[in-house]
Amino acid sequence: MNQHTVKAYGDELNQITAEVARMGGLAEAQVADAIDSVARRDIALARAVVERDLKLDALHRDIEKKAIRLIALRQPVASDLRRTLGAMKIATDLERTGDLAKNIAKRALILAEGEPMQPLTRSIERMGRLVSTRLRDVLDAYTASELDRAVAVWQTDDEVDEHYNALFRELLTYMMGDPRTIGACTHLLFMAKNLERIGDHATNIAETVHYEITGDDIVGERPRAQPTAEDSDPTPNLSTPHLPTH
Amino acid sequence: MPYEVSPSPVAPVSTSRLWTVGASIGIAIVTLLILAILHPELANWLVGGAVVVAASAWLLNMSETAATAPTANDGAAAESSTDVVTGDLLDRVFEALDDPVLVVSGGEPDDIAGRRIVMANSAARDLLRIQRQGALLVQVIREPGVLEAVDEALFGGTARTTDYATGGQRDRRWRAWTRPLSVEGGRAPGAELALLILRDETDARRTEMMRVDFLANASHELRTPLASLSGFIETLKGHARDDVAARDRFLDIMSAQADRMGRLVADLLSLSRIELNEHIPPSGRVDLDRAASDVVDAISVLTREKEIVIALDQGEARASISGDRDEILQVVQNLLDNAVKYSSRSGTVEISVRSDLSFDEAWASRMPGATRLPLVTPDRASGISYAAVTVRDHGPGMAREHLPRLTERFYRVEGQKSGERQGTGLGLAIVKHIINRHQGGLVVESAPGMGAAFTAWFPQPVERR
Repeated sequence: MNQHTVKAYGDELNQITAEVARMGGLAEAQVADAIDSVARRDIALARAVVERDLKLDALHRDIEKKAIRLIALRQPVASDLRRTLGAMKIATDLERTGDLAKNIAKRALILAEGEPMQPLTRSIERMGRLVSTRLRDVLDAYTASELDRAVAVWQTDDEVDEHYNALFRELLTYMMGDPRTIGACTHLLFMAKNLERIGDHATNIAETVHYEITGDDIVGERPRAQPTAEDSDPTPNLSTPHLPTH
Repeated sequence: MPYEVSPSPVAPVSTSRLWTVGASIGIAIVTLLILAILHPELANWLVGGAVVVAASAWLLNMSETAATAPTANDGAAAESSTDVVTGDLLDRVFEALDDPVLVVSGGEPDDIAGRRIVMANSAARDLLRIQRQGALLVQVIREPGVLEAVDEALFGGTARTTDYATGGQRDRRWRAWTRPLSVEGGRAPGAELALLILRDETDARRTEMMRVDFLANASHELRTPLASLSGFIETLKGHARDDVAARDRFLDIMSAQADRMGRLVADLLSLSRIELNEHIPPSGRVDLDRAASDVVDAISVLTREKEIVIALDQGEARASISGDRDEILQVVQNLLDNAVKYSSRSGTVEISVRSDLSFDEAWASRMPGATRLPLVTPDRASGISYAAVTVRDHGPGMAREHLPRLTERFYRVEGQKSGERQGTGLGLAIVKHIINRHQGGLVVESAPGMGAAFTAWFPQPVERR
């Protein structure tokens, strides 16, 4: 345990996993704080979230560098390789999550200038709590290497979509009722979209955890499955409102 | 494990004390014997003294070993049955602490994988699901604020208090104390330790949140009728001044809104009065069946208007309970009001009173097939019988997810706007507080389309049995 001069290969691998866990904690806090800043109209908190995003980016680069170094020098195979690649993938998802949280905080700053919109920010808060729960669960699954928990997160992906659809309709009625709220409501709509995407990143992480543990992709029906490759794609999803067509 | 038989940490301490006692007694005997040789005139006394000292030392030795022998064994047993603890009293105190406590080692400052859990008490192991000693700290606590505070305690030597929330739907609030633990012989690099104590502060925060919410809700509820009142006043002052028909209609609406505000204020006042008395047990005697028929009579004006039939089943025996008459009347009144409010025109509401029930009979199901949820449950006490009043309507009923929140202030089942049914949103909150004061229970059963049944049950005075 006390090797200072030459770190064993296993230690290096552990370190990367620990860094990912730390980054996960930071991303979780970013999401939670961003939601709080919307709910409480807390400008200082929103600014803090925007600033802290730099730290998340730095961690992401660091993890990537360490992982590449490990692959280059140790040539990991089998589960070690999966762990290394998994760490890189999860770090990317977390970095995107942080960006989305930052975007929510920025919009919270704009919203704070206008009138409070209690019922709507409440709905955002509810959806945000759901998304944070998923993020926390999947990170717990990652740190404890619990397959069941990861699969559970993956399977409940549609809950977030349902929330998103409900919020979308709520916002539409609001905007139709009072066109003066369109500006604020649009920001709220983007916040909801961001939260929905954070939920998708949580699902991605669940898939990565599954792959890391088993070496296989998750098979089986995911309720209302979407192509997940799209989620990490920065271009907006064209079928944006998942409004039921029936 | 009773304390008397298990002070294992005392074992090593007492053997060493025994040794010192033995040594000093030995020295005493030797001194006495030397004195006896040097002063032959006192020899008899001194040798006698030496014998007495030796004999008492032997006796003392016997009793001490007899006392310590079994405890040493117990200590060894305790040691082998736990993995992280070493069987020390301090360790067991640490282990028994209610708050999660952890000791974290430092490693290298820039290596997050160096923060490892050296010790964790059972509360911490359960909460954080720590599998083994030496687990990474970041694997169980990811909260950046806490990690930072731990780093500061490890490498900066500063103590801190951090608040954090676990987030998500079951939002728990924690307060974390971090304290540096200095290692003996200065701080060798890599040997830093820090103490981390967590405390659950969810309840305190929740109470605070509830108070804030309540104020916001109460003012919001009052503002709506007030806004409509002032709107109508403005209209009456302006263009509707000479329109007799409109004026009458507006005045009717205004009086309804004023009534609503009055009811709300009355409910708020009675809620705060009941809350003040909540921990004082009621002293009076009430007949539940009579209370029920009184309320049914009083409410008949309202029911006749809506052509609702109230079927009262009083049961055979007198259902006498210990309680405050006004408050019991209010419970029945509020439950019946709700039932009438949610009944369709010319529907039926059934109200029944039964007495001499056991605890299990009192909260048994009345509506098979519906979701059943106890909203208030008293402590189970033996030898007490209960009287229960059940109010059943055949209205729209409620879905499962609404049931747990029914007694929340101003909670309304979705789709039921205030004003439409003229409720204050405080009725069931009042019922809950009254029942709490009377140490009774409240059960709701409902399903969409099946109506709802509320059962309130109260303890009957013991002398009756």
